[in-house]
Amino acid sequence: MRPSFLHHLHPPTIPARQARLRYSLAAGGLAIFLSMILLVTGLLELFYYIPTPDQAATSIQTLTFLVPYGGLVRNLHYWSAQFLVIVTLVHLLRVIFTGAYAAPRRFNYLLGMGLLVLAVLLDFTGYVLRWDEGIHWALVTGTNLVKSIPLIGNALYIMLVGGTQPGPATLIRFYGWHIFGLTLAAGILTGWHIFRVRRDGGIAVPPPALRQDQARITRFELVRREVLAMLVTATALLLLSTFAPAPLSAPITSPAPAFGTTLAPWFFLWVQQMLKLGNPFFWGVFVPLAVLVLLSLIPYILPKPTKPELGRWFPKSNRLAQVVALVIFLAMLVLTLLAFLPAS
Amino acid sequence: MRRYFLPAASIFLLLGLLISAWQESRHPKPIDLTPTLTGQVEYCLSCHSDLAEISSSHPVKSFGCVLCHAGERLALDANLAHSTMRAGKNPSDFSVVQASCGGANCHSGTAEDFRDHIQRATTSIQATYAGAIANIRYTFGVQADLKARLGVFAVQVPQSTSGITELAAFDPLQETNSFILAFGQNCLTCHLSALPVQTGGRYDHFTGCSACHTPTQSASLTSVDTNTATQVHKLTTAISYTQCNTCHNRGNYDLRSMTFQPRSDLPTDRLHDYYQPIAQFTRCEWKLDCVDCHTRTEAMGDGNLYSVKKNIQYIQCKTCHGTLADRPQTRTLTDPNDPAFRLALLNPVVTLQLGEPILVSEKGEPLWNTRVLPDGTYQLVGKATGKVFSFKPVMGSACTQTGDDQSSAYCHTCHSVQR
Repeated sequence: MRPSFLHHLHPPTIPARQARLRYSLAAGGLAIFLSMILLVTGLLELFYYIPTPDQAATSIQTLTFLVPYGGLVRNLHYWSAQFLVIVTLVHLLRVIFTGAYAAPRRFNYLLGMGLLVLAVLLDFTGYVLRWDEGIHWALVTGTNLVKSIPLIGNALYIMLVGGTQPGPATLIRFYGWHIFGLTLAAGILTGWHIFRVRRDGGIAVPPPALRQDQARITRFELVRREVLAMLVTATALLLLSTFAPAPLSAPITSPAPAFGTTLAPWFFLWVQQMLKLGNPFFWGVFVPLAVLVLLSLIPYILPKPTKPELGRWFPKSNRLAQVVALVIFLAMLVLTLLAFLPAS
Repeated sequence: MRRYFLPAASIFLLLGLLISAWQESRHPKPIDLTPTLTGQVEYCLSCHSDLAEISSSHPVKSFGCVLCHAGERLALDANLAHSTMRAGKNPSDFSVVQASCGGANCHSGTAEDFRDHIQRATTSIQATYAGAIANIRYTFGVQADLKARLGVFAVQVPQSTSGITELAAFDPLQETNSFILAFGQNCLTCHLSALPVQTGGRYDHFTGCSACHTPTQSASLTSVDTNTATQVHKLTTAISYTQCNTCHNRGNYDLRSMTFQPRSDLPTDRLHDYYQPIAQFTRCEWKLDCVDCHTRTEAMGDGNLYSVKKNIQYIQCKTCHGTLADRPQTRTLTDPNDPAFRLALLNPVVTLQLGEPILVSEKGEPLWNTRVLPDGTYQLVGKATGKVFSFKPVMGSACTQTGDDQSSAYCHTCHSVQR
């Protein structure tokens, strides 16, 4: 059988052992699938969304309640975005816990870290586009955090917000970043990331001589599995989007956040919890950036995974990296859960 | 078995699509309305199409819902749609009345065209409760005279001609006297911003304008529905005595214990319901409704701040009946802009004609539901009941009054009803 275009995008064969769900967790592939859903639903939302403070929230209400299936499209966009962040994190953890970032894949690991940052930034900018009271507190707090950066904080704030407080300039800037700047960067990095997966020799496996299992699957089997994963994911997303609407609240009408929602979006709750410890720059900017840098440097500064141990879970050779990643993610998880507890 | 995975997953996705379409079909069908006064489409009627129009003066086609109630006009989710409503279900509460009912073309117009309702109502003694507060503070020695200085909320009326131009907010917690503190905590339930005390629904009422203008109490005593009293969507100027009773005859304040004592009797007819057992009254005082005699300035104030009810309440027996020496004052309606016409339009129990003589109060307020008959007697149509009552002047009758004494006890000596 001659490969179709879709088949041709895949390598002719890949190692069977590493192609299994229990190894790859399908996380990388799902990230691409979710990105495609986000692109399509986002394009549809563009037809209704009006990026002005007066009309942003009401245009989303129009889309949600009055446009046939508009609410479904918005919910799909919302849930895909939340899952994209989760799936990207799972993908990162899989790569660390299998030592798959070993040279020559160190650079692609950095591209992947870049994509994680972009996914989070896209999620946050999209969240702000609601321009309703549900995002107001996080917008004010988040942008004020930028101000806390020594020397460049104020200039950075003006650049980001476009004034001394969030307003029309802020919304159009976040809109520009969301639909163009960040999306373009994410598109380029995604293409580059996929290209580097192939260029670096596909999924990480030991050299042929050291492999215990020489079995391989064809691109036809690989595509079949991908389609299966996409169908299952699409069904789950569809049902979730049908019954669990994306959050929405009353439009922002005054500069001060209305009393009520004082929670950051879930992926920033760990930062919000750390802010309670004191210095906003240290806990709100420095520590998150340090965590990001530490995670990014894992392939460069921590003991490297050895070749014979590639392609399986928890190799001994990079145990330290696994522990570091585990500690970081558990800490983030605990901080996130703490943020839900009522303030004492 | 693996070969069934793909077809099975495809079928599940199709099922998901069907479920999604089914769920979409269950959403409320949007019903749009673009009120002429706002020009902005709203979808409240998608859920509230069964709601009766609030009054003929506020047709939904002109006003819609959002102009008065606010809320999210596009949202078809109840929580979101209602999240920004003014003061919940009652936009006439005085905390938001300016935004809901105000505006130069609505109820915050000028005194000259009788459209300054909000200014008058919010400064009236029923709203400020200034008299009772001053009286209590005087009684317990905290202030030297009965002049009002504090109100339920702070209010300023620079142009007030009564000698009082401002009231500060009364804060019971600032009072050192325990009786005044107890008064503040237990007895501040009798003004237009106060929620009704718990009396089992029988005396439930709204706050603000709706305290009087939304009939939460059915005029028929046998059908008091405690669940629906505050579900009423109606504004009216045909105010039954039952609405006045939600404050004025629902019980008493015991000043020794500083507590509210709810009315203990459960009357089933108008004669026994109208007043509490202790009261003395004449036939017209229970056959008519309160608003048949008491004017809108008496109830809603005249825009000045007062210390005591007597300063604003002035209708007496002689307003309609005159004295042995004088007939009651009358006015022939020659001006088509006479406010009597508009008042009669709002509550069309009578059809006033140009050239028709009606009774007027001592201050010249039209008693627009009365007319002078050719034989020199008078007629009054009940504003809430539509019933026609005939009555005669004192002049030429066998009454032995001195004329200058119009006190309640004096007239009641001969004219009280026994029950």
